[in-house]
Amino acid sequence: MKRTLDVIRSSAWLGWQIEANWADPFLFLVYAIAKPLATTLILFFMVRVVSAGTATQDTFLFLFLGNTFFLYVTEVLIGISWAVFRDREDYETLKYIYTAPIRFLSYLLGRGFTKVTTATLGVLVALLFGKFALGLPLGGAGTPWGLVVLAVALGLVAVLWLGIILAGASLIVARHSINMNEGLSGLFFLLSGAVFPLEVLPAWARAISLALPFTYWLELLRRLILGRPYAAPLAQTPDLSLWGVLALSTAGLTVAALLWFRWCEHVARSRGLIDWKTNY
Amino acid sequence: MTTGRGDVLRMNLGAIAARAQVRIVASWREKSWIVGETIFPFLAMAAFVLVYRGLKAPPIYEAFVVLGGAMIAYWNNVLWSMASQFFWEKEQGQLQLYLITPVSRMSILLGMALGGIAMTTSRAAVILAGGILIFGVPFPWERALPAFGLFLLTLAAVYSLGMILSSLFLMWGREAWYTATLFQEPIHLASGFYFPVRALGTVAASFASLLPIAVGLDGIRQVLYGEAAHGFLPLRWIPLVLVCLLALFLFLAHRSLSFMETLGKREGRLTLRGD
Repeated sequence: MKRTLDVIRSSAWLGWQIEANWADPFLFLVYAIAKPLATTLILFFMVRVVSAGTATQDTFLFLFLGNTFFLYVTEVLIGISWAVFRDREDYETLKYIYTAPIRFLSYLLGRGFTKVTTATLGVLVALLFGKFALGLPLGGAGTPWGLVVLAVALGLVAVLWLGIILAGASLIVARHSINMNEGLSGLFFLLSGAVFPLEVLPAWARAISLALPFTYWLELLRRLILGRPYAAPLAQTPDLSLWGVLALSTAGLTVAALLWFRWCEHVARSRGLIDWKTNY
Repeated sequence: MTTGRGDVLRMNLGAIAARAQVRIVASWREKSWIVGETIFPFLAMAAFVLVYRGLKAPPIYEAFVVLGGAMIAYWNNVLWSMASQFFWEKEQGQLQLYLITPVSRMSILLGMALGGIAMTTSRAAVILAGGILIFGVPFPWERALPAFGLFLLTLAAVYSLGMILSSLFLMWGREAWYTATLFQEPIHLASGFYFPVRALGTVAASFASLLPIAVGLDGIRQVLYGEAAHGFLPLRWIPLVLVCLLALFLFLAHRSLSFMETLGKREGRLTLRGD
């Protein structure tokens, strides 16, 4: 266990060096917060241009929270699987990592933690920007911040394991399948109701949406921070059920990720794909 | 043996055609890439259409998003396949091959641009067709021709800006990657891809109008939807602004490419891999 934690810590540090060593801290901070702030402002202006009609600040508040916390999904999900491509094809170090006396899964989890850190920075800045620059009523005296942190952590575990599932797939597919990772992230963004209420989706898409853990995760976070439900199809679902769905899906993803990743590693090694270069 | 002007012109035209051909052929080589390049951007656009639907906004706002989504495809192509391209070529060890050829760098970039436009048009067409057929956004076909003319002018100015960025990225290593990322969402915001640029306010929208894609999109929306487009610049100014930006960017790109190449040779950075 100690060995695993050491590997995770070292690879997280390595990931941080890869992410951040190209620029001074200020420039890196600008880079880390530019995307979440820009997407927040895009939504802000979208709501503002129709505010004369039906859009209210309350509407924006829900969109804002969904969009902000979804940053974890895009950053971590894509980041972990992208690490496989970068190490394999750009740095050409994957084969050395494999021959080192460490478990590759622990290494990837460490790389994932780097992404969790940069995503957390983006989320915190976006929340502070929302509260102080946009004047959103985020967090009052009764906001259970402890539960919010717990819900974020639980959802993050699910995102990390889903990232491992994609990293496993990345081991056995060519580089250009980065589209697969970005596409899946886009699909989750569309189906989890991150930036619009679920009821605007057609019935078939809503059914898929209700099968995704992120839909429940975002709804739970919105309820914890704002104290009221948002998605109409989940209006009758108690908070406890949301916690239950999130915990069960996280456990399910963990088991699935472990089995899938082991199989992908076996295939990659047996087919000689560990030092595969498809950068054409 | 001396080389006449005719030979130089022929060589440069050949370089343009060759570079464009490579890009077009490569874009159809990987079927999964085609799916990734067309379907997935459509999903992002769809999410923003649904935002307006959730806000119960008039359908014309959804049309703004669809047009913006189509233009995003071109902007991303400029960023990742034009501005950053010399960086990628350097990473793969091909940049020096370009530098020893007796053709202008601008010819190579123009070839990239033409090939990139052809490649990206399939993506933009899917977004536009999906927006019209799936989401039923209004599209006044009778005004499509003047809008298309403005669109071509916009593309010329946008890809000229890409040539300037390319000269900057020529010098950079890994910074190029991050800078391209940095130019993505903030430019989506500043260009008003998802809402009329006028909503940014006069000062911010004026600065945004230095971006040809913001001006062009504003104009295309005005041509198609008239007053309902909530345009920022008067429509009659927009072609003139775009022509001025095009001329300025081409001049700057030429100067900048020569300067950066000389600087890169002097500092020995043209063969230095960023990773």
